[in-house]
Amino acid sequence: MAGGDAALTVRNLSAHYGSRQVLHGVDLCIQVGEIFGLLGRNGAGKTSLVRAICGRLAPSAGSISVGGNRPDGASVPSIGLVPQDIALYPALTIQENLEVFGRLSGLSRKATRLAIEEAIDVAHLGERLNDRVDHLSGGWKRRVNIVAAMLHKPALLILDEPTVGVDVDARNALHRMIQMLRRDGTGILLVTHDLQQAELLCDRVGILLNGRLVLQGAPKMLLETAFSGRGEFIIEFAEILLDGQARTLRDMGFMANENRLSWHLVGDRTLDCFADVKRAGLDPREMHFRQPGLDSLFLWLSQQQCEYASEGVA
Amino acid sequence: MIISMLRVMALSLVRDRGALVLSFLLPPAIFVIFAAIFSATANDELPLKVALGKGNNVEAWDRFEEVLRAEPSLRIVGATALDPKDVSRQVEQGTVDAGLFIRGETGGDKVPPLLVLTEPGKPLAGGILSGKIRSLITAEMPDMALSTTVLAIEPLIGGLTPAQTERLETATAALATGDRNLDEAQDLVETAFVGPQKRHNAAVTYCAGAVAILFLLFSSMQSAAVLIDERNSGILDRIAVVPRGPEIVVHGKFLFLVAQGVIQASLIFATAAGFYGVDVIGNLGLWLLVTLAASMAAAGLALAAAATCTTKQQAQAVTTFIVLVCSAVGGSMVPRFMMPLWLQDLGRFTPNAWAIEAYQGTLWRGEALTEMLPELGGLLGLAALSTMYAVSVSKRRLRV
Repeated sequence: MAGGDAALTVRNLSAHYGSRQVLHGVDLCIQVGEIFGLLGRNGAGKTSLVRAICGRLAPSAGSISVGGNRPDGASVPSIGLVPQDIALYPALTIQENLEVFGRLSGLSRKATRLAIEEAIDVAHLGERLNDRVDHLSGGWKRRVNIVAAMLHKPALLILDEPTVGVDVDARNALHRMIQMLRRDGTGILLVTHDLQQAELLCDRVGILLNGRLVLQGAPKMLLETAFSGRGEFIIEFAEILLDGQARTLRDMGFMANENRLSWHLVGDRTLDCFADVKRAGLDPREMHFRQPGLDSLFLWLSQQQCEYASEGVA
Repeated sequence: MIISMLRVMALSLVRDRGALVLSFLLPPAIFVIFAAIFSATANDELPLKVALGKGNNVEAWDRFEEVLRAEPSLRIVGATALDPKDVSRQVEQGTVDAGLFIRGETGGDKVPPLLVLTEPGKPLAGGILSGKIRSLITAEMPDMALSTTVLAIEPLIGGLTPAQTERLETATAALATGDRNLDEAQDLVETAFVGPQKRHNAAVTYCAGAVAILFLLFSSMQSAAVLIDERNSGILDRIAVVPRGPEIVVHGKFLFLVAQGVIQASLIFATAAGFYGVDVIGNLGLWLLVTLAASMAAAGLALAAAATCTTKQQAQAVTTFIVLVCSAVGGSMVPRFMMPLWLQDLGRFTPNAWAIEAYQGTLWRGEALTEMLPELGGLLGLAALSTMYAVSVSKRRLRV
């Protein structure tokens, strides 16, 4: 996969913080014009992988190549990084911020001006170009946050939770922007906890668990492989269940979501579950049936890992 | 609820160890320094550095020279000069706080035997030395005081009778052996200023230099703290993927701080020139060089402090500490000659002392560039080293 069109190639990457290994032989390739979603729980190794790609964390083994260059600070910036925080100068206007980050990316004055003109079209910034960043809404700030990282047309754009804390309209606008960048040929690494967003936007996703990229592929393919067209039954409770009730649901094959209010069951006989749940004396707030999504896959993988870990302990 | 907020503040401080240590170490440290300065002035223990000279045929004053050299509150610098010009030059160059030239007995021409030379910027040093001399003569050499007084009176009263002369010689001998004492020694000391005669300019130049470097340090420290905001907001993460990103950030800020410093110093010296007649225009080239060097030193030091601190609380404490200590010890708050000798020696290694001396050299003493190289070297060296340190720490902070 690491041909000439690769925006990012990571081979057998391992990294340590002191004596603690945080990445275990990660292999990853993102093609030009592809959005790759990097999923994983907190502490799974997402930030470490991003830091290694940006050249901030030295690998203990393996290699990283971005747009053909190593990200060791010696080459032209092939990466644009959009941090999770609003990494802009609040007292400067949108235009001034973009000028600063364009110039810092190594663009000439003229190239920066042209890049800003292009960005205005892509992100529809024109109407508020002369507004100070600290006067903008969250959605607008997020938009500028992304634009500031793409002015130099990087081979790889890393988006770290780009839509966190914004409303639906702003989120949709940001999604349109990300899709336009893909069309322009930018390779995008989208780091997110928002599994719906990943499913909607990403050409491929990878799931990191404890520093290992345990699964990667197109969302549909992964879901098909994992669930083979089976349905998913979801029941929601208003309160966390008592231990006995939770045990009953587990015995029926349900898996609890992270918040322990939502229980999922993937299988062929999901329609029978309505009756089973009622029979067990449980009183859910809501029950529904759907096609499994990435969140189901994520839950299933986490469950597998827990079982694997407990078997290992045993 | 109020207690909850108090608890938040207390826990935040306790968990920021750097800020905690500085919050509670800084006050006593600053107190020790100021106590050392002010206790010296209050206890008549100002240790003046004095250049000493002595004319020909003044053997009678040899004992006085011994008394001077033995006096613990005076530091007689170097060998005894034979020409008052040599003493004057040392005072003008600022290597000593004041000078003393022993003319000896001058007969009836009413010229006091001792000449105290002082820089107009340090009139207090001359006053202190004169007082110290009178006190030493009264206490240690009352015979000399009496002889000098009689020499001054004799022409006015038409000479002494043989009997009076005999009684006087007996009294003088008794004073010399300590059997009697004399309360006052008058007309012994004359004070003169060295250097250009625009006396107030020296004091104003000193003050302008002292205030300029103080504000350069304060404002640079404030502005450099933006580095911490940038680190926390993720701007440095964004810039980290740019080749030589940390260097660009630190060097860009360095340039801004230098420009800001030059403007601040220009405003201070423009006021000094406009209202007090300090000749900045006549020495513009060297003044600009000193101002650039001082601004660069302040900028470098501020960036080094900001790069070292991890939180704004730490930065606040560290920068306050640096500015207060450098300004107190370096002479921005109290002239250095008023400090104990160990503090004076310590003060020689502060940007404040270098900047003040360089401004004095340029605007008052009219020194050439070569004479100011030590001070300029200190300022530029500090600027270079601290900026390199800031770049290095900023780079390291971006590596995990």
